[in-house]
Amino acid sequence: MQSEVKSDDERRPPNRIGISETELERRGLKLELGVPVTGATTLGDAVVVGFGDGTIRLFRPGHDPVIHQAHLGVVLCMAAYQDFLVTGGDDGRFLRMTPDGLIEELDDFDTKWVDCVAASDGLVACSSGKNVRLWMAGQSKPLNFIHPSTVGGLSFDAKGRRLAVAHYGAVTLWERTKRKWKSSTFAWKGFHGAVTFSPDGKYLVTAMQENALHGWRIRDKANLAMSGYPAKVKSFAWTGNTPFLATSGADEIICWPFDGKFGPMERSPLCVGHNRKQIATCVRSLSDEEAVFAGFRDGSVLLAKLDETTESIAVRGSNGAEVTAIEVSPSKSHVLIGDALGNVLWAPLMSGAEYARNV
Amino acid sequence: MQSIEQVPVTVLTGFLGAGKTTLLNRILTEQHGHRYAVIVNEFGEEGIDNDLVVDADEEVFEMNNGCICCTVRGDLIRILGGLMKRADQLDAIIIETTGLADPAPVAQTFFMDQDVADRTKLDAIVTVADAVHLNTQLGEHHEAEEQIAFADVVLLNKTDLVDADGLEGVETRIRKINPYTKIIRTAHCEAPLDNILGLDAFSLDRVLEVEPDFLESDHDHEHDDDVKSVSFVSETPLDLDKFETWFGNLLRTHGQDILRSKGIIEFLGVDERYVFQGVHMLMDASPMGNWPEGKSRSSRMVFIGRNLESMNLLEGFEACKAK
Repeated sequence: MQSEVKSDDERRPPNRIGISETELERRGLKLELGVPVTGATTLGDAVVVGFGDGTIRLFRPGHDPVIHQAHLGVVLCMAAYQDFLVTGGDDGRFLRMTPDGLIEELDDFDTKWVDCVAASDGLVACSSGKNVRLWMAGQSKPLNFIHPSTVGGLSFDAKGRRLAVAHYGAVTLWERTKRKWKSSTFAWKGFHGAVTFSPDGKYLVTAMQENALHGWRIRDKANLAMSGYPAKVKSFAWTGNTPFLATSGADEIICWPFDGKFGPMERSPLCVGHNRKQIATCVRSLSDEEAVFAGFRDGSVLLAKLDETTESIAVRGSNGAEVTAIEVSPSKSHVLIGDALGNVLWAPLMSGAEYARNV
Repeated sequence: MQSIEQVPVTVLTGFLGAGKTTLLNRILTEQHGHRYAVIVNEFGEEGIDNDLVVDADEEVFEMNNGCICCTVRGDLIRILGGLMKRADQLDAIIIETTGLADPAPVAQTFFMDQDVADRTKLDAIVTVADAVHLNTQLGEHHEAEEQIAFADVVLLNKTDLVDADGLEGVETRIRKINPYTKIIRTAHCEAPLDNILGLDAFSLDRVLEVEPDFLESDHDHEHDDDVKSVSFVSETPLDLDKFETWFGNLLRTHGQDILRSKGIIEFLGVDERYVFQGVHMLMDASPMGNWPEGKSRSSRMVFIGRNLESMNLLEGFEACKAK
C-alpha cells in the first residue's frame, strides 16, 4: 500500500484535503447509501451494519450484501454474541436477529427509544430511559432494573456473570448470584456513557460526557481518571495482548495499558496513528493482532501498530464524512468502514506477505 | 468534500396553560413544506399531532469541570444525537420545555457539547406568556422570570382577555426584565411563523442588529422583580487588558447570577468590532469586521440577571475606559 499520512505541507491532489484515495479503496466495494451508518459488529461469518433508516445489511466475503428492514426508524444500537444479534431503535423496538435474517421482536417501548443493548451467552439486555430489561435463557419474562437516570451504556463481562449499567453519577454493577442479581455502585461525578469490562474482568471503564474516560479497579473500587482528550471519547476497543484500551477523541489513538496490578494508574498511554490534527471518532482492533484501526472526523481511516515508532497505513482516504463504524470480518479477510453520510467501504485486507511487500 | 449543515433548534418555553401546545400544533399543521421534529416533555399538556415527536425527560446534568453553573440537558444530547442519525434531513427541531424548566441548561447544552454544536445550532428561545396571568406568575415563580429573561421572543398570548392598560402594564414589566426581547401580541398564538422560527438569534451577527431598547439604560428600581437588566454605553474606547481582566473576573465570580449578556465593544487601537454574547459563565465572542465608515463608534453592553446591583457593574465598566 503506497498511501500514508502526509503532512499539511506536502503535495496533495486538487480539491482534496488530507489523505488521498487508497489502493484498498480501489480494490473494495464502495457504496454511497446516503443514510448514516450507526454501527457495525460481527454475526456468524458476516459483518452486520446498522443504518439511520432502520435497515441492517450483512456483508459476507465473496457474497453480495444482503439487506433486511429491521426498525421503522434509526438503528440506535447493536450488539452480537456468536450467532445472534440484538438491536434497539428509535421506533421503541428491541429486536433479535439470526444470521439468516430471521427477526424476532423481544420488546416494544412504544414512543420511547431503545438506547443501549448488550448480549452474552444466554443473556440479552436493553435499556430505555432509566430501565434496563434483562432476558435470561429459559425464562419467558425479562427482569427489570431501574436506575437513577437515563442509561448511557450497557455491557456484560466476558463470562456473562455481571452486567455494567452506566448512567449519571455512577456505574451500577449487577452481579448474578445463585438466586438473583445483586447491585453495587461505582460512583464518580458526571455522566457515564459507553461502558466496558477489561478482558480479564478486573476493570470497568466508561466514556464520559466530559472529554475523559473513567475507570475503576473492581476489586477495591480504586478510581482511574483518564483525561486530557481534546474531544469526547466516542469509541474504544481492547487491543493486543497487554491489553491496551485504544480510544478515540484525540488526533492520534490513545492506548491505555491495563496490565500489572495498577493498570494505567500513574502511567502514560501509548499514542499511535497520528493524523494531522484530525480527531479520531471510531476505533476497532484488528483481532488477535497488535494493531488497531482508527477512523477520523474527515473520513480517513488508518491502521496503526501498537508501536510508536512505526508509521501507520492509510486504509481509506479523507472523504469529509465522520467515520462512525469499523468492523473486521470474523475470517479477518475484509474490513468494513461506514460514515455519517452513508458511505460504506467493504474491502479485502491484504495478507501479511502482501503487507511486507507493499509497506 | 461532503459537509453537514447545522439544523436550527428553537426552544419553546412558557408556563402551563400559556399556549405552547396551541403554538406547536399551529407550527406543525400549517402548510409550509418543512420537516420538523418536536421534542416534548412527557408531562406536557395535551397531545401534539406529529409523526416525529420525541419524549424528553428534562435531565439536568452538572458538568464535571469545576464550573458550578455549567449544567446541560443530558436527554437533549442523547436525543439530538439520535435525530442526527435519521435518514431524512430535518429542517428544524423544536424543543418544548415544561412550565417550571430553567432555560439555562438547554441553552448551555449548545455551548458545552461539541457534538450538539457541530450538528445543530440554537436558533432562538421563544417564551409564550399568558397576558392574563403573567403578572402573578412573575411574582410567584422564579422560573417565570428566567423564561422572560432568556427569551429572544415573547409571544404575549391571550391579549383578547386583557384591556389596553393591562397589556401596557404587562409589557412594561417584561421590558424591565428583558429590554431586548421582541414582544409579539397574539390572541391565539397566531403570529407569523417567520417571527418565531429561523431567527438565528444566538449568532453574533444578530448582536449587531441591536434593538432601540438595547440602549435605554434602566435605573428604575421601583418594580420588585428579582431579575433585572442594565446596559451601558461608552463613546470612549475600552482598554483590552483592563476589560479582559474585569469581565473574566465578573463571569467567574458572578456568572451564576448573570443570566444573559451581550455586547459590542470598541477597543483602543483595534479596528474591528468585538462582539460577544453569553449565558451565565459561557461566552461566545469574536471580532466581527470593521466599524461602519462614517458612523460614530461606541461600546455597548447589556446584562440580564439577579443581584446586578451588587456587582458594581457601572464602576467596573467605567474603569475599563482607555485613558
